[in-house]
This record gives sequence, C-alpha cells and structure tokens, in this order.
Amino acid sequence: MQMQRSIQLPARLEGGPYRLIGAIAVSLVVAYVLVGPQQFSNFLTIGAIYALIALGYTMVYGIIELINFAHGDIFGLGAFVALWLLTMGGFNGAINNPVELAVVLVALFLLTMGIMGLVGVAIERFAYRPLRNAPRLAPLITAIGVSFILENIMQAFFGPSPVNSPQIFTLNARFDIAGASIGYLNVFIVLVAVALMIGLQLFVGRTRLGRAMRSTAQDREAAELMGVNIDQTIAITFFIGSALAGAGGIVWALYFGYAVFNQGFYAGLFAFTAAVLGGIGNTTGAALGGFFIGFVYVAAAQFGYSRWFEVFIFGILVLVLVFRPTGLLGQQLGERA
Amino acid sequence: MQTRRIGALAVVAVILTGACSSAATTAPASAAAPGGSAAASGKTVTIGVDLPLSGGEFANGDPTKKGVQLAVDQANANGGVGGYKILLSIKDDAVNGVHNPQQGATNVQSLVADPSVIGVVGPFNSNVGAAEIPITNQAGLLQCSPANTNPGLTKPQYGALQIRKAFPNRINYIRVATTDDIQGLAGAEFAYKDLGKRRAYVVDDTETYGKGLADVFVKQFTALGGTVIKEDGAPATTTDYTPLLTAVQGQNPDVVYFGGVTATGGGLLRKQMAQVGMGNLAFGGGDGIVDGPGNVQGSFIKVAGAAAANSFGTIAATHDIPNASAFADAYQKAYGEQPGAYSASAYACTQVILQALQAVAGNTPQSGLREAVRAYATNPSNKFNTQLGTISFDQNGDTSQHIISFYKTDMSADGGVGNWVFVRQQDFGTSGSSASPAASQ
Repeated sequence: MQMQRSIQLPARLEGGPYRLIGAIAVSLVVAYVLVGPQQFSNFLTIGAIYALIALGYTMVYGIIELINFAHGDIFGLGAFVALWLLTMGGFNGAINNPVELAVVLVALFLLTMGIMGLVGVAIERFAYRPLRNAPRLAPLITAIGVSFILENIMQAFFGPSPVNSPQIFTLNARFDIAGASIGYLNVFIVLVAVALMIGLQLFVGRTRLGRAMRSTAQDREAAELMGVNIDQTIAITFFIGSALAGAGGIVWALYFGYAVFNQGFYAGLFAFTAAVLGGIGNTTGAALGGFFIGFVYVAAAQFGYSRWFEVFIFGILVLVLVFRPTGLLGQQLGERA
Repeated sequence: MQTRRIGALAVVAVILTGACSSAATTAPASAAAPGGSAAASGKTVTIGVDLPLSGGEFANGDPTKKGVQLAVDQANANGGVGGYKILLSIKDDAVNGVHNPQQGATNVQSLVADPSVIGVVGPFNSNVGAAEIPITNQAGLLQCSPANTNPGLTKPQYGALQIRKAFPNRINYIRVATTDDIQGLAGAEFAYKDLGKRRAYVVDDTETYGKGLADVFVKQFTALGGTVIKEDGAPATTTDYTPLLTAVQGQNPDVVYFGGVTATGGGLLRKQMAQVGMGNLAFGGGDGIVDGPGNVQGSFIKVAGAAAANSFGTIAATHDIPNASAFADAYQKAYGEQPGAYSASAYACTQVILQALQAVAGNTPQSGLREAVRAYATNPSNKFNTQLGTISFDQNGDTSQHIISFYKTDMSADGGVGNWVFVRQQDFGTSGSSASPAASQ
C-alpha cells in the first residue's frame, strides 16, 4: 500500500530523490489515515527495528552477493549484549535523570554496536572469507550453520526462555498528540533509526571507504586493480551491517524489555523480506521495506487479521518476486552499495 | 582455526546429546508383601508406568511415579489384591530431558508385549497420549492418565475416534483430570461471576490447545451475558503485541483472556499490556500459564515480571483432595518429601486399576485379567473410591469429576518472588455448563 506510488518510479530514480520523497510522504499520510495516530506510532517503531536489520542484509548482499542468514541472529545477539551490558552496569529500572540517561544510552549504543560490528567481522573472517571463491551455495549453507551456532551459543548462556532486560528508558514518559499517547521511547527509536540510515547514506555516498564499497560491489576485480583493499572493504561492510543490526537489538531490548535466543530467526526472515521488497542490494529500498513490513503487521492487528500476518508478508514477497524480481525500487548494486 | 574448534565442539555436543537418550528402566515394587496370601500363592501381575522421569521433567514425573508406588506398596502390604502380588514396570518417556511421543509409543509397545501387565498409569503429556493410545487401543490394554487434559484424546467431537481407530467402541484409555473444554468454560465463569468482568478481549496462540481453550471461553462468556470485544490469533512467533492491544484499547476491555501457554506468548502479552497502559486489567488463562513461581526460568510470572499481578488461571484437577493430610503423611513417611501436584491423581489411577482387579480376580483366569480389568474399569456404571473422591468414567473414558481449581497470582508470595495461590475450586458437573459455584473455600 505504502509503496504503490513507488512502483512507477524508474529503477534508478533518474528523476532525482524528490519523487521518492514525495512518494514516501504520500504513503505516510495514507498509512496515518488508515490506522490512526496510536497505531501509526507503533508501526514506525517496529518498522524502524525491521529496517535496521534489513540494512545489513542488503549491504552484505550488495557487496558479496551472499544472503547472510546469520544476520537475524546478529540482531538477536545484539539484544542480549545490550541486556547483558545493562545488567552488568547495575541498572534495573528506569533512569529519570535525562543527562544520566543520555550518557548511558550513548555508551550503550557505542559499546553494543562496536561489539556486534566486531562479531560480524569475525564471522566474515572465519566463516565466509575462506569460501569467497567457492560455489555460491557453499557460503549460503555456511550462513545457515553460523545462524545455528549463534542461536545455540545464546541458548547455552541465557537459557531457552525469554530473559528480562532492564528498561532504562521509562515507559511512562509519554505525550499526548492528536488523541494518541506517544511514548518518548517510540520517538527516540524512530529518530535513532532514521539518523543511522542517513549516516549510512552519507558514509556510502560521500566517503572514500564508501566509494571503495560501491566499486567493490560493482566489480570486485576492477576495484582491486584500482588499489581497493577488498578484504578490508568487505570487513567494513560486515562491521557496519552488524553494528546496525546490533542497534536494532538495543532498541528491541529497550522497547520490549526482553530477549530470547531465537528471536533473530523470525525477525531475520521479516527483515530479509523487507530487503527483497525494496530491491536487495539497495539500502534505501531495504529501509522502506522494513517500514512497510511494520505497517502490514500493525494494519493486520488493527483490522483483526493478525492470524494471517505471515501469510500477507510472504504472499507479498511471492508477488514481488514473480512480477518485479528486482524489488520495488530496483537493484542498485553499483550505485548505492 | 577457530572455526574448526567451534565445529569440533558442535560435533562433541551432538555425540553427547545422542548418548544421553533415555533408557527404560524396570524396577520391582520396593516393599515386599509380609507373608500375605499373594506372596504365599506366588501369583503376580504387573502395572506399567509411563512418565517423563529424566531431565527437566523429572520434577513433574517423579512425584507422579511415587504416587503409583505408594498405592502399590500399600496394597502389597495388605496382602496383595485378589490373590495377586503387584509388581511395577516403570518406563521413562523423556528423551534429552523432554517428553517424547515416539519414546512413549516404544514404551507402551513393550508393556503391551508383557502378558503380565494388566494396566498402565500414564502418560503425563497429551501429545505422548496421542501417540500411545492407538497402540494400547489395538491391544486392549487399560491406560489411566493422571494429567492429560486435551479433549481430543477422548471426545469424538474433538477427533478422538481417529486416535482409538482400531476399536473405537472399546474404550481402554481413562483419565482422572478433566478436559480443556471445561477449563475454558471455567475461565469464563470465573471472569464473569467472581471478578465481575463484562468486556473481554481474547487472544489465542493459534495452536490446538490455545485456540480450543479460547473458543470455549468466548462461547461461555457470551452465553453468560458478557461481551467479547474481539478474538485475535497471534502465532507463537509473535513478539510484538502492542498493535493488537492498541486496536482494542479504545473499546475499554476489562479482562484479557489468553489461550495458550507461557512459551507461546502468555508472558509477553501480559508484559506488553503494562507497556501500553493496560497493566491494570485482569488477565486470565488456562493451565498453560499456571506454571510455577517467579524464580523458575521461563515461568509466566518470571517472563511477565511485575506485570504478572492481577492474573488468574485454572488447573484441570481438584486442589482440595479428601483426606489430604492423611495422604500427605503417608507420602511423607514413604519418601521424606511433600507430594507433587499430580501425586494424588497417580495414586487414584492406581486405585482404579487395583479396584478393578479386585472385582474381577475371583472369576477370571490370569490369562484373561488384562481384558477383564479393562472392561471393568471403563464400564460407566462402575464407581471407584479413590483419593480424589468417588469417580466413574463416561462412555469416552473421561472422569465424572469435573472439578476445576482456580488460582491467582500473588506477587508477595514465596518471599516476594511471586506465585500462584489457590482461590477456590468448583465442580462443573457432567453437563459442564453453568453449575452453581460450589466454592469449597
């Protein structure tokens, strides 16, 4: 629904970003009218989490054409790392002092995203790099294996049941607007997600390393001949993708207040769907796809079809793959990494 | 290097878990009959036991097994039953610490093959029952479950004829716990009458147990005059319940009922109710959420945390057993511990088998005992005097005792960790509908 305008967009957005921004604005208005203000805030929040995960999927695919099925579990592990850091830090409830909260949040994001980035780099180094020139099926199966290893490590350390996380962001801090009661945490989550996405776009589009990523995605051998350090570039891609999934895990732990060892499996499937919807390899598309999945979920719940949510999501995935296999925004491997 | 080490670890783990698969054990009854007629004549019969007895389910299975053992030891001490000394053949249906239908099926196959076995107490879990009943039905071996609640194991309208396919009219499976369809009904009665709730929001986990429970709740709550605002299904993979709750928030529900178990979302739903500002509403469910105190990993109270307050749940068994203290004393004397939740039920199952044996032993040759015991125990006109009270079994093998016990969360119980506390119990009669609340406490 939200993407219908986008369908008419040319694959490479030759008309400039304004048509895309216009389409997003129209979609948001339509979504707001359909589900109302309260659910609108719910959809942006859960959509932001899916979008953060979807970015990593799409970046890794864009650069080495690997569907990294372990990516969902990186998100799950990120939630556990955030939970563990908060517990180790001695926090067990809301922090009411805004300055202290800001300091804790900044530290939490830096540490967790850093740790998860390094985990992603380690996985790439030991599980995927040895298979870089192997047939494409080999790294795919390895990715599934890594996914199982991560889930089992989480289960071994934290047990098979949901583990409660300290919710340092008080849930009672809300403001009323347009007849809805919106939590500051929801606003915070959406702002963090959008800021990270803009940061990613600037990094990929404006920096030297970003240019290296784009050139590697376009033609690895030519990039190498031009002096791009391929191993380093791919490692950086994994670092950023995993750090973004880690950010998704943090906001998950803050918002829902728990983590469970297999939460990354389904979240990963939905995020993967989001990445394919947007055109795998296309970071803008992945972000929009994540919000779209969030909207479908919230709309299904609002209208009493939650039982069918997964059918809707994967049905849409099938339709996109049949009628527009490059996704709604088109694959832009070379253009946007 | 590191990958190889992880790989090697994984291989070792697989080998270890494989090696730990359960081994069926056979143990004779521990107490010898003190020179009674049974011992003198040397005739014995065997009662089979199939329960989860290892790993995480030891806490469920072991006290249940001891209930059987206590009844058999007492009978042997009194000189046996009908001229026979009773032996036990005890099987464990847990594999890697979790109840396993295939292991249960293997266990009852070996019990069927043993001609001295006249009846089986077990299983504990409904899905194990679904795997075992086709085998024991084919063989005509009596089975009495102390704990199964799934209606599909007995009631034709829930598909039981498929399970007892070999001889649909020859009942061989009976149980002393009542069924989930009565649980859902009891939940509705409790919400409407005891708590005075009128507007319910119902969520199920889209699984057999949960959807069945929720459907019965909706039917009964509406019949009583309450309003069901909405009935939603949230698959067990659901992690975000806030859109579901937001959708009904404006319609002012005063109770939320969940069909499912803690692991399929009961705890998370309750936790997120607090998050969207619905934490003060009452919350209810079946025995799937009444799963222990707040210091048990994965229990409803643990997962929901402080939000678990103001929740109610049902258990499909009687809480106030007759002569509770005498039973507890005998159990305590024999095993040095308090009886478990299903010890008395297992004791009652054993009593049913022994009373059937007593009734038929006089005029049945030993080779015909298995069939005679089965026929006697499943005859709806025969009554049994058990630890749970006087009971009989209907044409499907369900107990005549339709007692549901109600529990509420008390977050100050167990020294502040929170636990379920008994509220009252009620007999829902044979019809199962709108019985007058005969509160026993």
